Amino acid sequence: MGCASALQMAEGGMKPIVLDQGDIGQGASGVNAGTLSLQIKRVKLMPYAIRGHQEWESMGDDVGFKKTGGYTLAFTDHEAELLHERMSLKAEAGAPIEFVSNSVLREAEPNLADRVVAASYCAEDGYANSSLTGQFYRARLKQQGVQYRENFKLLSVEACNDGYVIRSANTAVKAKKLLFSAGAWLKSLSALMGVELPVRARINTVSITERLPMLTRSVIGHATGLLTLKQKANGTLLIGGGWQGHGTPEQGRGQIDTDSLRSNLALARHVLPAIKDARILRSWTGFEANVPDFYPLAGKLPGYEDVFVLGCVRGGYTIGPYIGKLMGDYILERTTELPLFDPGRDFPEAVT
Amino acid sequence: MFQLAPNHEDDIVRTAKVNFTFDGKSLLAHEGESLAAALMRAKQLHISDAPADGAPRGLFCCMGLCQECVVQVDGKTIESCRLQVSQGLHVSSLRR
Amino acid sequence: MITDIDIAIIGAGPAGCNAALIAAEYNLSVVMLDEQASPGGQVWREKSRAILNAPRTPESVAGGLIRNAISQSNVSHLGGVRVWHIERSEDAFVIHYENAGVSCFLNCRSLVIATGAREYVQPIPGWTLPGVLGMAAATSIFKQDLIPIGSKMVVSGTGPLVFFVAAEQQRLGGKISAVVTSNTFLDWMKALPAMLFRPRLLFRGLRWIIALYVNRIPVYWGHTVTRVEGKSSVSRVEFKKIRKDWTPQGEPKFIDCDCVSMGSGLIPAFEPFQLVGISLEHNSDLGGWVPKQELDGRTNVDGCFICGDGAGIRGSLAAETHGKLAGLSAVAFLGAKISHPIEKLRREHAKATSFGEAMSKLSIPRPGLTKLTTAQTVVCRCEGVTRAEIEEEISLGAQSTISVKSGVRAGMGLCGGKFCQTAITDLIAKAKSCPVNEIVPPTARPPLRPVSVNTLAGDFNYSDLPISKPAPL
Repeated sequence: MGCASALQMAEGGMKPIVLDQGDIGQGASGVNAGTLSLQIKRVKLMPYAIRGHQEWESMGDDVGFKKTGGYTLAFTDHEAELLHERMSLKAEAGAPIEFVSNSVLREAEPNLADRVVAASYCAEDGYANSSLTGQFYRARLKQQGVQYRENFKLLSVEACNDGYVIRSANTAVKAKKLLFSAGAWLKSLSALMGVELPVRARINTVSITERLPMLTRSVIGHATGLLTLKQKANGTLLIGGGWQGHGTPEQGRGQIDTDSLRSNLALARHVLPAIKDARILRSWTGFEANVPDFYPLAGKLPGYEDVFVLGCVRGGYTIGPYIGKLMGDYILERTTELPLFDPGRDFPEAVT
Repeated sequence: MFQLAPNHEDDIVRTAKVNFTFDGKSLLAHEGESLAAALMRAKQLHISDAPADGAPRGLFCCMGLCQECVVQVDGKTIESCRLQVSQGLHVSSLRR
Repeated sequence: MITDIDIAIIGAGPAGCNAALIAAEYNLSVVMLDEQASPGGQVWREKSRAILNAPRTPESVAGGLIRNAISQSNVSHLGGVRVWHIERSEDAFVIHYENAGVSCFLNCRSLVIATGAREYVQPIPGWTLPGVLGMAAATSIFKQDLIPIGSKMVVSGTGPLVFFVAAEQQRLGGKISAVVTSNTFLDWMKALPAMLFRPRLLFRGLRWIIALYVNRIPVYWGHTVTRVEGKSSVSRVEFKKIRKDWTPQGEPKFIDCDCVSMGSGLIPAFEPFQLVGISLEHNSDLGGWVPKQELDGRTNVDGCFICGDGAGIRGSLAAETHGKLAGLSAVAFLGAKISHPIEKLRREHAKATSFGEAMSKLSIPRPGLTKLTTAQTVVCRCEGVTRAEIEEEISLGAQSTISVKSGVRAGMGLCGGKFCQTAITDLIAKAKSCPVNEIVPPTARPPLRPVSVNTLAGDFNYSDLPISKPAPL
């Protein structure tokens, strides 16, 4: 998100500099499952998600974008009810989602478990190779002449006469305006400015298998959201679904929870039985930031005119490149194509 | 008698030989020896193909790490340096 | 599920076994886990059950003694299991391991990690051909299966392993086409004072070398194999003389062979340390990335102790004493009173260490080593990524092992980067003109070994799926 905003700002004539505590794109975008599915987007965020998909499509091969189509499956009557209710609303919001019969599903995806009770399909769904995020944005930043610093561990932010001074252990950067787009680290970042943002981080687990013969061509989801499954062109299978690991952003990286992992993989096996003997090569976690109403933070940091916040998007991987552009426009004082989300709004009581 | 570089080849007593197959080819091995050794003995150096570019691969680390000697038995992938040969073992290679 | 073990030891080599045996003398529950069916690790690897009788070797004798001691002791040996994850909870560690296709775990109050080392092989053109294997790799087959490797072997590398491999290959009925070693006579002379401490080993080594000359097997000191050639397996090698800094020079020479055993020393297997939270630091004298450690195997993680080659390449003799010291550290951590003479053990360990370090010195990489890896040489074997591709990614802005991995998949394959990260780290350091100790290995991620979905998922009842609150609409 930070990079997309910076590129937009540069295009509008500003001189941004991007600072990351580690490698660009390794905080979240580089470590998730890469799913681009309108079926898991919030109803009100659908217009943003649709435009997000268009952004990813234009990024194309450089990010390994593949529009495969996606299915969401229900295995019980309760799940089917959930599926019908929710997908209908998402379809009304503009996503090309339709319900498909078992025979259509079986024809498209013969290796899926045969106990499916209901299924929905969206032709716009697919995935990108999340690992390529960093490489992609570094290249774009360089191409546009936008400065960036990686491994910049921010220690302090101080106001100065015409802006702010941001310091790390051995350098300082001066800027007139600031954009905080640090995802799960937004809470500690805004705390430096004396602002408390109700940012929480989910610790989502992803696993990847060794290369396998092609078993599935679409992105597969589950009515409860507890599974995403996709097989990349090189045959490796990525398994996600938001199963929770341990850890906090302040501690650095999260850790997997073995019980969580077990359930995640068991569900994957239930849905695609052929993977039972496939070997898992790596499991890891990535942080997904959110606020109590699960809508984005995109606007001015409460109490500031020239410090901005962007994050907690709920579907941040998908929507990030688009909302980053909107944010860039907002900072350039242009009208944004779609409304942003005031970080100073009232939030409901946080329910864990 | 002091031998500077003794050859102990003939002093080694091994178990009886058993049959196993490697991609359908019938081979002999001493019961219980590692599949890696059995394939080496049969001069079958090319065990797998590299996952990315399909290049021929064989035994490299002999301690279960490099994954280049992997084969399939009963649908399960296992390193041949960690598998013992028994009578009637059917091994499928992952060569293309 | 096994709970409440006092001391769990991962690794049943000389270090792990000694840690286990000494700890077991203190009326504590000790479990020792290892990938192999029998204790012994790499250096004392047990013969397979196919071997009914064979002439003894110093290694088989030492291995037999330790296996006997373990079986007579109160140590619970869990053999043939693969540890795939280690977790730390408040006052315990949880070790997750695969046992015959089932994932199990045990809780322990203290942990000794003795997982040893693996080989470092400098990537050279043709090093991925069938028929090319490591030197420690060759010795594993020799010790376990007692067969020669190929029919005409070239051995190329550093340190004493070169001569050990050559000797064993012949002893088991095979042929050696040539011995090629980067080390010079002078390198070995420098190691001589330390070797006088172990006269039996010195004598054994001299026998190996003299036998090569007597049998008219060419020995090329101060040379290294620069290229392996062959279509679907090895047919010959190219080798060259090298300068003092190991840069190849002069005209290429060739030897026909059908297998090549090559290696440039050992490196600690540091992934378990990363998982449990032990910091790493770089030390070329000890094999590159080594865990930060204090006296007697203590680390920055309370209750977790390290020993053996995993803690730094110091050899098997030092591993034995290190194991004892680490075992006693675990015992002391649990509150028992130590009755063993620690000071004496420390002195023994120091002596053993100086011998081990003299041997490791022969393998410390010199600047010319990386020149053997040409632009087109595959560096990441699993993903087929060449030096040129890695360097290009670095030139495009990838500044860390993580970003190189993400960009070109180097280190993302089946072996998890075990055989390429050292070379990749060197390439990044070179490109950035910074010391190699500033380039950290990528984040460790479980599993430590590939584990099947069935093993990890176990039995599963669909109805057990938590019916959580649906995501916000």
